[in-house]
Amino acid sequence: MNIPRPGQVWKWLLQTRVGRSIFRVGLPESNLERSQAMVSSFLLHVQPAKVHRHSLKASYSMGLGLISLYLLFILVGTGTLLMFYYVPSTDRAYNVMKDLQFVVSAGLVLRNMHRWAAHLMVFFVILHMCRVFYTGAYKSPREFNWVIGVMLFLVTLGLSFTGYLLPWDQLAFWAITVGTNIAAYAPLVGPKLQYLMLGGHTVGQEALTRFYALHVIVLPGITFFMVSVHLWRVRKDGGLSRPAEGGDSVQRIALDQLPTNKSYGLMELARGTTPQVGKNPEDEVFSWPHLIFREILLFLVVAVVLLVLAIFFNAPLEEYANPVHPPNPAKAPWYFLGLQELVSYSAFWGGVVVPGILVGVLMLLPYIDRKVHGVGRWFARERILANSIFTVCLIVAVVLTLIGSFFRGPNWSWQEPWKKPAAMTEGH
Amino acid sequence: MNDTPTDNSVSRRGFFQLTLGWLAAGFAASATAAGALRFLIPNVLFEPSEEFKAGKPDDYADGSVTFLEDERVFLVRKGNTFRCLSAVCTHLGCTVNRAEQGYHCPCHGSVFDDQGVVKGGPAPRGLEWFAVTLSKDNRIVVDKSQRVSAEKYLVL
Repeated sequence: MNIPRPGQVWKWLLQTRVGRSIFRVGLPESNLERSQAMVSSFLLHVQPAKVHRHSLKASYSMGLGLISLYLLFILVGTGTLLMFYYVPSTDRAYNVMKDLQFVVSAGLVLRNMHRWAAHLMVFFVILHMCRVFYTGAYKSPREFNWVIGVMLFLVTLGLSFTGYLLPWDQLAFWAITVGTNIAAYAPLVGPKLQYLMLGGHTVGQEALTRFYALHVIVLPGITFFMVSVHLWRVRKDGGLSRPAEGGDSVQRIALDQLPTNKSYGLMELARGTTPQVGKNPEDEVFSWPHLIFREILLFLVVAVVLLVLAIFFNAPLEEYANPVHPPNPAKAPWYFLGLQELVSYSAFWGGVVVPGILVGVLMLLPYIDRKVHGVGRWFARERILANSIFTVCLIVAVVLTLIGSFFRGPNWSWQEPWKKPAAMTEGH
Repeated sequence: MNDTPTDNSVSRRGFFQLTLGWLAAGFAASATAAGALRFLIPNVLFEPSEEFKAGKPDDYADGSVTFLEDERVFLVRKGNTFRCLSAVCTHLGCTVNRAEQGYHCPCHGSVFDDQGVVKGGPAPRGLEWFAVTLSKDNRIVVDKSQRVSAEKYLVL
């Protein structure tokens, strides 16, 4: 029997009446069709028809933003499936975790994927922020997109934090107790904010209900809206940042300066990217297949790595939440351990002032550092001051996190991990 | 209104219309936000009472410090005096553990002495003391909503 190859089936499908009605362009064979394939598809049109070679360089962007986005997609997919079993009740939530582990088909792998994707997303969002900083990509005209990025980083942490309570185990209960008590140190509104977050005075059923609503609808909704704006602006700012080149200068045309004896298309009012007058067309390649291929490849890598992680490493689940006894030491997830180390010196300074200043400076950064040079290159010499300051802050954050993770034992006392390795297993 | 596009001046009527319009929109938006916020603040809490009975005085031995698990407090008896110390760390709300001398918090390492006074770590204040009374049926009653000084005892 002659089995048709997938390519042949695809070709046949595109020739049928139904196939043509769904995929209007079909498999593109000319450059015109390659553009049309991108523009006419709902899912593809968020991306440009042509893309600058520089944007495709893996050594430049390292795909970090895209990896974060893929992890978000995976989190939504696995999270939606988990919702079919999960019950946000203090009596039942923990049992559902056990059911997922031992009873539900593929429940263990899905929960593991969700947990590891959440950890990785925080990690890759931080890496993405570092990349954008070290390449000076937050400078004009991308200032506000950096601000949106910082907000997305905070929302990512919020999603992780709210998700943490849902299993209702010891880790969940005490991480949220500590976290909401930090919020209570905020000036003026602190205790009221804590009351609002918990829906009461202690972490209980009301808090679980609230965190569940935030985790499954409010924060994902905000995330999706902001990610859309984030990507839209990347597109409108002419793709990824790159070193300035001849003919690349952006000219904004004021509406009243347009001659009135001529009709204009929308493209001529857009700035920067179109039309490509005076540019070298050889610097740009068609998104189909160059961009699409890389995107699909990267997604496969992310999915495979995550699946392997989820198969070989189980997401931790501690004992059923005990409102009386915190575990000793009671450690937050790794991305909050630097913060926990800080609050172990002072809750107000370490938990409110220092993080507040850091977030404020990050948000204002593109409006403080305004010189438009050294954009689009890693570690540009002109940016040595900014890069040095950022690196010092980064090292401090990493060192604090490492201390919190490995050098803190019972009662948060100093403990060298190589002397008593048993303490290391406590942190997650 | 007969403003031409080049005329930037606002007529009196236009000014009032604009002001009224923006005020109305602003009022509607803030009222909606305030209503939603108020909705989220609960009016009734299904939390255990702050006041509770802690058994008979004879249940506690002389010189003992007893941890009452459900209430997260320590009941301290010395001779015929009774006091009640909160076990909730004033730093970030973890439960402190009784040590040989004083109390230790497992979360961030705060140390308190027998009087609840901070001896080390990040805690901003000492542990709270709660009012202790005796009910008519000879039971110890603790009211966690009433904070008292460490020198205040229930004397039998």
